[in-house]
Amino acid sequence: MPDPSTSSGSPRAQSRGDWKPEIRARIAALERAADYDDIVEELAQHLEDRYDELVGEGRSEADASRLALEELARDGVLERALRRVEREPIPPQPAIGRPTSGGWWRGLSSDVRDGLRALGAAPGLTLVAVVTLAVGIGANAAIFSVVNAAMLRPLPFADPNRLVSFWGSAPAMGLPVVAYPEGLYDYVRKRNQSFEGVAAYSNPSVTLTGRGEPERLKGAVVTVNFFDVLGRHPQLGRGFVAEEEAQGRNRVAVLGHGLWQRRFGGDARIVGQAISLDGTPLTVVGVMSEGFDFPAHAELWLPLTIDPQSLDCWCFATVGRLRAGGTADSAGREMARLNDDFWRDREGKPRTNPGDPPKSLIIAKPMSRALVGDDQLPLLVLVGAVAMVLLIACANLANLLLVRANARRRELAVRCCLGASPGRIVRQLLVESLLLAAAGAALGLAVAFWGARVLGRRAMDRLPHVQDVPLDPAVLFFTLGITLATVLVFGVAPALRGGRVDLQEAVKDGARTTRAASSRRLAHAFVIAQVALSLVLLVGAGLLLRSLANLLAIDPGFRAENVLVGRVTLPWPEYRDESRTRAFYQELEARVGGLPGVQRVGLSSSAPFSSGNNQQIFSIRGREPQAGQPKLVASVRGVSTGYFQAAGTALLRGRAFETTDTERTDLVAIVDETLARRFWTDGNALGHQVRLGDDGPWRTIVGVAASVRHGDLAAEIDRYVYVPTVQMPSVEMDILVRGAGDPSGLTAGIRRALATLDAAVPLYDVHTIEEVVERSLGPRRLTNALLAAFGLAALVLASLGIYGVMAYSVSLRVNEFGVRLALGATRRDVLALVLRQGVRLVALGVAFGLAAAFGLTRYLEVLLFRVQPVEPLVFGAVVVILALVALGACLVPARRATATNPLETLRAS
Amino acid sequence: MRSTDLKKGSAELLILSLLAREARHGYELCKLIEARSQNAVRFKVASLYPLLYRLERRGWIAGRWVEKAGQRRRRHYRLTSEGRKVLESQRRSWSEFVEGVRRILEPEHA
Repeated sequence: MPDPSTSSGSPRAQSRGDWKPEIRARIAALERAADYDDIVEELAQHLEDRYDELVGEGRSEADASRLALEELARDGVLERALRRVEREPIPPQPAIGRPTSGGWWRGLSSDVRDGLRALGAAPGLTLVAVVTLAVGIGANAAIFSVVNAAMLRPLPFADPNRLVSFWGSAPAMGLPVVAYPEGLYDYVRKRNQSFEGVAAYSNPSVTLTGRGEPERLKGAVVTVNFFDVLGRHPQLGRGFVAEEEAQGRNRVAVLGHGLWQRRFGGDARIVGQAISLDGTPLTVVGVMSEGFDFPAHAELWLPLTIDPQSLDCWCFATVGRLRAGGTADSAGREMARLNDDFWRDREGKPRTNPGDPPKSLIIAKPMSRALVGDDQLPLLVLVGAVAMVLLIACANLANLLLVRANARRRELAVRCCLGASPGRIVRQLLVESLLLAAAGAALGLAVAFWGARVLGRRAMDRLPHVQDVPLDPAVLFFTLGITLATVLVFGVAPALRGGRVDLQEAVKDGARTTRAASSRRLAHAFVIAQVALSLVLLVGAGLLLRSLANLLAIDPGFRAENVLVGRVTLPWPEYRDESRTRAFYQELEARVGGLPGVQRVGLSSSAPFSSGNNQQIFSIRGREPQAGQPKLVASVRGVSTGYFQAAGTALLRGRAFETTDTERTDLVAIVDETLARRFWTDGNALGHQVRLGDDGPWRTIVGVAASVRHGDLAAEIDRYVYVPTVQMPSVEMDILVRGAGDPSGLTAGIRRALATLDAAVPLYDVHTIEEVVERSLGPRRLTNALLAAFGLAALVLASLGIYGVMAYSVSLRVNEFGVRLALGATRRDVLALVLRQGVRLVALGVAFGLAAAFGLTRYLEVLLFRVQPVEPLVFGAVVVILALVALGACLVPARRATATNPLETLRAS
Repeated sequence: MRSTDLKKGSAELLILSLLAREARHGYELCKLIEARSQNAVRFKVASLYPLLYRLERRGWIAGRWVEKAGQRRRRHYRLTSEGRKVLESQRRSWSEFVEGVRRILEPEHA
């Protein structure tokens, strides 16, 4: 180590830039310190400054050099001082560059800032996570809310669990649901032990006249105890009283809230006033509260007058309120017994011999289930789909966060080294995860509210008892909870384990630890699960889409386009005279046929896909069923001469009805192809005779029409018997008008034509056939669209998941790829290596998914139309699509792997 | 003030307060202390730099190499927010100390 005094002997040696050797000599022991070079340079600068100053003061260069070097002090002093600094412990600090004091809450705002910055630094990952959360939370909450409103929420009646509906069923006659006739209802209500009360109701349409335009309303004829049984009472006035069941006392009505507001301006004085219904004056006795529109969106309730002897109208639905402790099953058994008793009392002998199968059954169900009916299954399928999307979303989030946590391991470890406590790091990650969760939850809530509104509107159209679809808070909290818990657990868990990490190991570049391997295994499991769940969803969506395609390809037997339908009901008893009714409709058909833009006009007692469907017993001459054989049932339509052309239904044999068919000529009928082929092998029914009812007149078949579907494209085709309306007049008819183009503009003209015939007759229930056919597909389209959307969401989420995991996996193996490339592997080899790993995961997922799909799709069977639950085409297509998308997701990271620079990776390690 | 003990206790305060307004390099600090104390207090390389490094290690000051056109590359030190807090509290206790000493000395002058 040179002495400053000896150095002074050669002053020029200490000139500018040459101080460093002296300094190095004095602190040689510190040579291995990280900042050694910086220290040497800084001290050299200082000596140079001092030297310049001394020379500037007039000292000789030699003097200046000596004095400058004196600054370094004696041997070892500087070195010892510097070593003491090195040994001094670093005081603990919460995080680098952050204030140490101020308590736990002080750094929170900076944590939020840091968190936002960190999320912004990986915008793709953040976006995917937020969207995943939004879909997971939003879709689940919205669909669960619909299910809840339709299936789980109690009916809007008092103590709804005690309400039971019951009805007859005669499957042998092709009649799954037989409503009660008055006589049977009367018998049951007087004798039953199961119910506190039994109400009956039907829902005819009525015409409100008198004030302004005549208006056709959805009405309800109900027994006087109806409101008591349901436990809902009018908000104004009263319900019906027992005396109002009597003929002559029954000229009273209860108004619905909507009708009261719309037609009567919400005037409370309406109670006690008279209104005119179908020309009959009635007194308003009450107004129901808002939202009550049972049954079937009724707006007006009228008392039902019971005739204990009458079996004329088998048209009453029933609902009973169980006595405390009763069940629907026990009530059903009693109703079945009373049914048998009724017929035995009435006919003097049992209807069936002991041991014979019963002619009819009585079915009793809790009202909530009776009302929801077939809609339950699609809803359950959607719930299942939602649960799967939720699972996929959670798996995806977990994966994203694991990948992210691993990508940040070094950052966290460095912060640990710099003195950040584990608690502080956990808090930082917690804040970050909460920010992510909050963004996802906010978007998810928006999706949930919007989804519940859209779905709710659709559901309310379809399900009569659904009044509204509020977003269910329990469901919302449930989905929020699950997804947010996923974010927090997988966002923070890596940090909790971080405390046990070997910091040195983590900080070193390219570190491999068992921890990375275990989280990679977890990520792989998530990917397999995602692929499997996506496959199940896609298969389900595929099967339903194929069903819909099959349905749309079905020939309904009529041409739906450009046909407008409206309903006309002639008031009773003005049109009691059949000849008057006949003349009215003939004139109407002629006048509407003369309107500009009208191509064809026809009348039918019930147009295709309209609400009515008159079914009657029929028999064929010479083939009447023997006693004990089931009777035959057919859909019966009274139609005008123009009907088949207006509806676009082809006549396959014989002729249509003609103006020469009148009430005075031979009775004729046209049957459809389904009926003709059922009874005549060649389908030639011409010349044979049919009869409607048990004792109607025989009618000769003059034509065979194409089969048509009514109400549901997927349903079995009914047998049809058409009769000329002139030979079977009815006051209520549908008028079908085929226009040259869009027929909706024809309504006004039809109304004018109608008004010139009778100003008191309204045209109502106006729609195009296309509309009602489309509406009949509505729930199916909704289910399909949702399942397809879920399938797509699942596909996107799964491909993101695969991409994330593969990208992460490639980043972990960069070194390995570098070594392989250095040892002579080609880029193609590396590509194959990565793809092989991806293929293995996808193949496993597909295998699990196929197994699950084989097991699950049979639950879809009821929803499928001409598609097998295990349809090879759908399964095959889904596997191919899923495999392609998944491999696409692998390809990007795989290509990145081939871009590895072997030199760089080797140098780094 | 030449006593090493006194200097040691107050040296940190001197450096921190000199860095309170602006960033400075080591030689500048030396000259400022000499000038302001009218040569009563002097630092040499062997005493100044270990002190600077210690303060930096504690996170009270932060050094950074700065290159300005036409000048040498120098390491400038600035006060961190942590250092600012330490300076405040040391200034307070220093004033209290000086005030205490003054009170002890005063009656003898009276």
